[in-house]
Amino acid sequence: MKAQVTHFLKNLVNIKGKNKGLVLYLDDQCAYTDLLAELKAKVSDPALDSDTEVTVHLNKRYCTDSQIQELSKVVQTNPHLKVVATTSDILTVEASDQMIRERQSETYVGIVRSGQVIKAEGDLVVIGDVNPNGRVEAGGSVYVLGRLKGAAHAGTKGNREAVIAASWLEATQLKIDDELETMTDELSSLSEQPEMECAYLHTNGTIIIDRLQELRFIRPQISTFKGGS
Amino acid sequence: MGEAIVITSGKGGVGKTTTTANLGTALALQGKKVCLIDTDIGLRNLDVILGLENRIIYDLIDVLEGRCKVHQALVKDKRFEDMLYLLPAAQTADKNDVNPEQMKELVTELKKDYDFVIIDCPAGIEQGYKNAVAGADHAIVVTTPEISAVRDADRIIGLLELEENIDAPRLIINRIRPHLMKAGEALDVNEITTHLSIDLLGIIADDERVISSSNKGEPIVMDPSNPAALGYRNIARRLLGESVPLMSMEKAPPSLFTKIKAVFTK
Repeated sequence: MKAQVTHFLKNLVNIKGKNKGLVLYLDDQCAYTDLLAELKAKVSDPALDSDTEVTVHLNKRYCTDSQIQELSKVVQTNPHLKVVATTSDILTVEASDQMIRERQSETYVGIVRSGQVIKAEGDLVVIGDVNPNGRVEAGGSVYVLGRLKGAAHAGTKGNREAVIAASWLEATQLKIDDELETMTDELSSLSEQPEMECAYLHTNGTIIIDRLQELRFIRPQISTFKGGS
Repeated sequence: MGEAIVITSGKGGVGKTTTTANLGTALALQGKKVCLIDTDIGLRNLDVILGLENRIIYDLIDVLEGRCKVHQALVKDKRFEDMLYLLPAAQTADKNDVNPEQMKELVTELKKDYDFVIIDCPAGIEQGYKNAVAGADHAIVVTTPEISAVRDADRIIGLLELEENIDAPRLIINRIRPHLMKAGEALDVNEITTHLSIDLLGIIADDERVISSSNKGEPIVMDPSNPAALGYRNIARRLLGESVPLMSMEKAPPSLFTKIKAVFTK
């Protein structure tokens, strides 16, 4: 009986143990239905009888969200297995473009006036003032070459490493990821002469304001400069 | 072909209508043919400040709906011969009874016969504002040295900068009280112009006689000795391309002669 099963399997699913659970490597050349059938057979192996976290790796096969769900469901027909992640070596053009946009820096030259909202998916550089009731938002960091007197939101999509820096940081509100700071007089870190300052998110979840010169120690990863001597 | 200027501010009560009346009068005094349009439909005031209230027969809505010809609705200000006219707003309609296309057509028509068409914009950024800016070539933003007025001016400048047919707006700072500015209790001229970063067209001193003259229906600019009048006259000259230095808001220290005179007149 055991020999028969081995014969049926074409080794479309490779199971490897990693320090934190199992990784299922799925063949990316075979038909999807064959893959599904073999996966079903492999996970129902009675040897898999202890609670384990599983990562499904798709190799170079592109799967839609519903297919990924279906694969997870099949794995979890074994009550001891729990899918914690699905990884893949490939990206759609759309997802790749999105990633490029999020890594790019956009520049706005002009004054962001009351009622105006400027948004960028990556970093945002504003050359000009941001006036009260004006708003700048970026998926990455916000840099203002001018007076930031309105509201700024950095890391809109959850980047907690993002910073807000300005030649003159006199904002009404600062937000990084979903942490908001209203710049009232009660805030002890407010300086009289807020020249060349930056705001970042401390690990305890509060927004800290510091001299711009400290940024290279606080967020060294922001520097992408490679050349020079 | 004349030029159309819209006078706007965002906030109410900063002196749009007073500025419109006085600039129009000052330009007429300089020998220019001027037509003022009140676009504050439902809340018209410009006619009162000019003292022309009783002469209104037809209004803006009558013209736009074809009940009369444009020249029939224009009210002539007899004090300035043939130089100053007013197209009054309707009082019995509202701002939604007009659309920007109609206004554009009307202003283009008037520009053929007048050197300046000055449009008095209502407060706010809704339909009334959209109608007022539709036909304009230039914009003047009026503000006062109050933070709330400057905030609204900033908003309106942002909107004006999006209008393709209007060139960069210019600023008038109205109701300046030199002693408050000096004491740092009010924003000073420099702070306001740096914040808004647009060209300053002129400053007007706060003066009680502006109110009394408005109530009499005589624009203050007709009194050449008044400091506010001088401010408006200077702005009119700048609009005509002259380079006039900004007037000083400081009172000149009393001269030796006036001091001696004071001793004898006591």
